[in-house]
Amino acid sequence: MTGSYVRLELVRAFRNPVGMTMLTVFPLLLFLLWAKVLTVAPADHSMVSMATYGAMGGAMFVGGAIAMERAGGWLRQIAVTPLPAHGYVTAKLLCAAAGVLPSILVVLAAGALLAGVRLPAGTWVALVLLIWTGVLPFAALGVAFGYTFRGQLAGLAMMIVYFGLSVLGGLWVPVTSMPPAMRALAEYSPTYQVGSLGWRALEGHTPTGLSLAVLAGWTLVFAALALWRYRRAL
Amino acid sequence: MPDVLELEDVRKRYGPVTALDGVGLTVAEGETVALLGPNGAGKSTLLSIALGLLKPTTGRATVLGRPPAAVLRDGLVGVLLQEAGLLEDVRVRELVAAVAGMYDHPPPLAATLRAARVEDLADRLVGRLSGGQRQRVRFALALAGGPRLLVLDEPTVGLDVDGRRALWQEVTRRGATTVFATHYLAEAETYADRVVLLAGGRVIADGPVEAVKALVGGGEVRFDSGGGTPDVARLRALPGVRGVRVHNGTVALRTGDSDATLRALFATFDDVRGVRTERIDLESAFVSLTGGDSEEGTG
Repeated sequence: MTGSYVRLELVRAFRNPVGMTMLTVFPLLLFLLWAKVLTVAPADHSMVSMATYGAMGGAMFVGGAIAMERAGGWLRQIAVTPLPAHGYVTAKLLCAAAGVLPSILVVLAAGALLAGVRLPAGTWVALVLLIWTGVLPFAALGVAFGYTFRGQLAGLAMMIVYFGLSVLGGLWVPVTSMPPAMRALAEYSPTYQVGSLGWRALEGHTPTGLSLAVLAGWTLVFAALALWRYRRAL
Repeated sequence: MPDVLELEDVRKRYGPVTALDGVGLTVAEGETVALLGPNGAGKSTLLSIALGLLKPTTGRATVLGRPPAAVLRDGLVGVLLQEAGLLEDVRVRELVAAVAGMYDHPPPLAATLRAARVEDLADRLVGRLSGGQRQRVRFALALAGGPRLLVLDEPTVGLDVDGRRALWQEVTRRGATTVFATHYLAEAETYADRVVLLAGGRVIADGPVEAVKALVGGGEVRFDSGGGTPDVARLRALPGVRGVRVHNGTVALRTGDSDATLRALFATFDDVRGVRTERIDLESAFVSLTGGDSEEGTG
């Protein structure tokens, strides 16, 4: 019974022009700005940063849809169908997972075709998989926002956290150009650690134990937050 | 066989406010029951509890002998809620199909679209529909799973005359158990087997339309009060009289025996003028039973 709802959500996600633009065109333009115009970091580094940044936004903004649908009363309608409440969230998470893939692919393609990034084939595959799985915890954070704020407010709150975490994690400007105190803090942010999965892969390194531990910790925190807010909203 | 819907002494309090004050209600298979009452009478609260969306403070609600939420999960209930929203960025057909797909044995999509009269809207985006069209989509969602029990909260709000008639035709054609809340008295009178009158969180009358009317007497005797203050106590003492209302210079006597009331009225008061008798309709029964104002012009 969740299947038919997942299908509907996928149709909506891929037909939504605003959402698709935000998920693909925006990170693409930022990447080109970073790599071709400003050159704040090497092109391959910026490519990973912007792919991660765009994908992370796509994952988080699932919460915006939840908040809007809650405010619009759609969840009241869902509540009187056989679809269980967790079926709705599952559909949203699956959609978020599918929806972030285009932003990763578009930015990586731009890296290869427009910015002259050359990598072994295996590294390209590794980048897609690492960034893809790395940003999924942010979907849980988005769910927490969606069940905390109503309507437009959720989008605003998420935007603040999204930009804050992106800057802190060195997705915009590399942490190497940050003052030491900020850099120390940045290394414990989920964004820096997600980014580092891809940055290390560029040099053929596997993720460090610290990365995985920090990411696992944040994943638990985001999932707990999501579960708590979701249960309270029911 | 268990009753389709059963509420036992249901109470619901929100802090100091009592929304439902000991409601009992039983709906048998195949019945069409109208829940009637002014705004704030507790109709929506009652339906929410019957559907398991709200927990009663005390008391118990069951559907087909089981907890309502479980029966909803099994797809046996179709619901049209007043404040429920729709997804805006999908086509009507997609929305109805997705909801139908949540049920085990939904009727064919085309049949549902036809039954709710949204066939011609099927390829339109929900966000572009008018209020009445959206209401028809809500009705389609309620029918989508082929439910055994249909629960409709103010189903004809925003519908034009044709739309209302079509909706009730479909409810009648299905013949399945239906519970609907309305403040359109004419709808309750025309389409329900049974009327449950709710006021102030209590059931104040429950029975066939005719029985509810009989509760307040067979008719009403009205006359002009002629400017003076009518002696309500003496009027009330007249044979057959069950209630007295004075409004804008008109005295209305609710009576179970218009003839006896009229004879006594003329014998007791020599200055009554403009006397007429009226057969009571549900509107008047509603007013006299709830003691409140009915909403004029909504039927």
